[in-house]
Amino acid sequence: MAYIEVRNLKRVYEMGKGLQVGALQGVNFNIEEGNFISVVGTSGSGKSTLLNILGGLDWGYTGDILIEGKDIKEYDPNYYRRYIVGTVFQQFYLIPSLSVEENILLPIKFQKRKGKEISERLDYLIDMVGLNDRRKHLPKELSGGQAQRVAIARAMIDSPRIILADEPTGNLDSKTGMAILKLLEELNRVEKVTILLVTHDKEIAKFTEEVITLVDGKNV
Amino acid sequence: MVKMFKYALNLVLRRKLRTVLTSLGIMIAVMLMSFILFGMTDLKSALLSELTTRFKPQELYVSGQDSMSFGGMVNAPTKEGKVKEERILTNELREEIEGIDGVISVEPLLFVNGLELFLEGDDIPYPSKVVAASDLPGTHHMYKEFYGKKEILESNDIFVSKFVVSFFETTDEDILGKKILAKSSSSGMFLSSSSKSMIDKEYEFTVVGVVDTANDAFWINNDTALDILVDLGGYSSPEEYISNIGYFQLYVDTKDGKTKEIERYIDEDLGLFVISSETILGFVDTLTAGLTLSLILFGSISALVASIGIINTMIMSIYEQTKEIGIIKAIGASNLQVLIIFLIQSALIGLFGGILGLSITFLIMKVLDPFVVETLAQQGFLDISQFFHFQLGNALIIALSSILVGILAGIYPSMKAAKLDPVKALRYE
Repeated sequence: MAYIEVRNLKRVYEMGKGLQVGALQGVNFNIEEGNFISVVGTSGSGKSTLLNILGGLDWGYTGDILIEGKDIKEYDPNYYRRYIVGTVFQQFYLIPSLSVEENILLPIKFQKRKGKEISERLDYLIDMVGLNDRRKHLPKELSGGQAQRVAIARAMIDSPRIILADEPTGNLDSKTGMAILKLLEELNRVEKVTILLVTHDKEIAKFTEEVITLVDGKNV
Repeated sequence: MVKMFKYALNLVLRRKLRTVLTSLGIMIAVMLMSFILFGMTDLKSALLSELTTRFKPQELYVSGQDSMSFGGMVNAPTKEGKVKEERILTNELREEIEGIDGVISVEPLLFVNGLELFLEGDDIPYPSKVVAASDLPGTHHMYKEFYGKKEILESNDIFVSKFVVSFFETTDEDILGKKILAKSSSSGMFLSSSSKSMIDKEYEFTVVGVVDTANDAFWINNDTALDILVDLGGYSSPEEYISNIGYFQLYVDTKDGKTKEIERYIDEDLGLFVISSETILGFVDTLTAGLTLSLILFGSISALVASIGIINTMIMSIYEQTKEIGIIKAIGASNLQVLIIFLIQSALIGLFGGILGLSITFLIMKVLDPFVVETLAQQGFLDISQFFHFQLGNALIIALSSILVGILAGIYPSMKAAKLDPVKALRYE
């Protein structure tokens, strides 16, 4: 049994006046635990739709997604988004009025967890992403690469088992992008977290252990 | 919850100017409501307390003319009232009223106008040129307080009010035994409708008591007043004066349970103008109720406008924070948590308006209170040392109400925010 099993995954959008668009048309793949996988495809291939579904943001799909044999629909959606997956976005999506520390701790605001455990985890992650000297800085005081590091640390704060990264290097120059990929690789190695990286760039995909290619809503 | 509160506070503080402007509506509503709670209640009780001390339910005030309004007509004018002829309150009428079943006593009231009143050793006359006359004792409840040597006015005795004591910058004790010189003056001629002629004359009185009255500054007894009126008016006798001019008012004391019946008889059968204590108290009640209602109405309208303002601001916030809502949902915030965050924001706007309104009201009260107390004292309400009473309990109720208004106004926008689709929210530009 694979760690993540995606079976006949379909997502159809109703566009009004009876028009339907099939963003995903029967996607199937397996991912083993701790793998670093990339999903590659051109614009409109269904990459973002797949990521939204795996990230627990879109539940209007058909087919099955199993994690360790358990259908993700059996999870409470909020629990799933907190502890099963952590998402890193291309646009970073940091809260402008919150500091680096506060942005990383943002998911904790919606939980009852508190205390030493969290502060140790925060220190560890800030150290890992190399932002010790930027803890109190606001997002506007950070470079793109630093902002993405904050987003990665935020995704990791709850120690999720899977990290979904949506074009994490898309807004960065190649050097900074490479540094981010190395950071993700380090996370994958050290934290044993399974990473699913979505990209349109085949060069970036080469960085990962396995590549899933999507074309017109199907994996080929 | 504390974490969510801090986050909501952060969101509100990000929009300081808008928060302040939105909370202005709540602030105005709170100010109006505060004035009702901290001022109107006391005004009503002060007025009623003052009037119930002076006027008893079984008392009637009878006049031959429609001149007994209190700052305006007590009752709405009627055509019937208009055709009511003015009558002279003669001794015959007085005796007739005395003979009505249930009447305990009838005390005539007179006014002598146009006298300049000087205190012994002082050159400046008292501003009022009116001397009232009645045979009621100084301890009668019409005078709220009495301080003096004699309770009953004899010839050439005079009671003065606390106003007079205050005007002549003396004390209740010091003024007793002093002389009051009353001089008729030519200017008084225009004030006195009861004089046929006016020749400069002087009358001397001795102060025997200090009374606390709402209106009149000097009181002498009826016989003395009649002698002066006869003297000033050129009448041959008190009887002639009463036959021609009549008493100013008759103060009628009745037995309990008979007052209404007697009031109706005097009004309808005798054709006189009559006011009962009940009418006066009812008038005060109506007046204060009207004022309270107006303030409540304006307060409610302000609260409604403020609510619309909060709804508008919160909906604007949703548009501004759409992406942020998407982010927090994507990292695990539930719909309920988003709802709570927005409700906390609107409650904070309400609370801010409440605190702002209460603070400003508190300051206004502090500044205005001495002026209101002084004004009331000038109108005879001498017992009121503080008009506005800022009560912490009521302030708390107002603050909680403003939070409630904020929450109610925030329900729709909060639900709207909670229902946002995270995928669409993240794509929102």
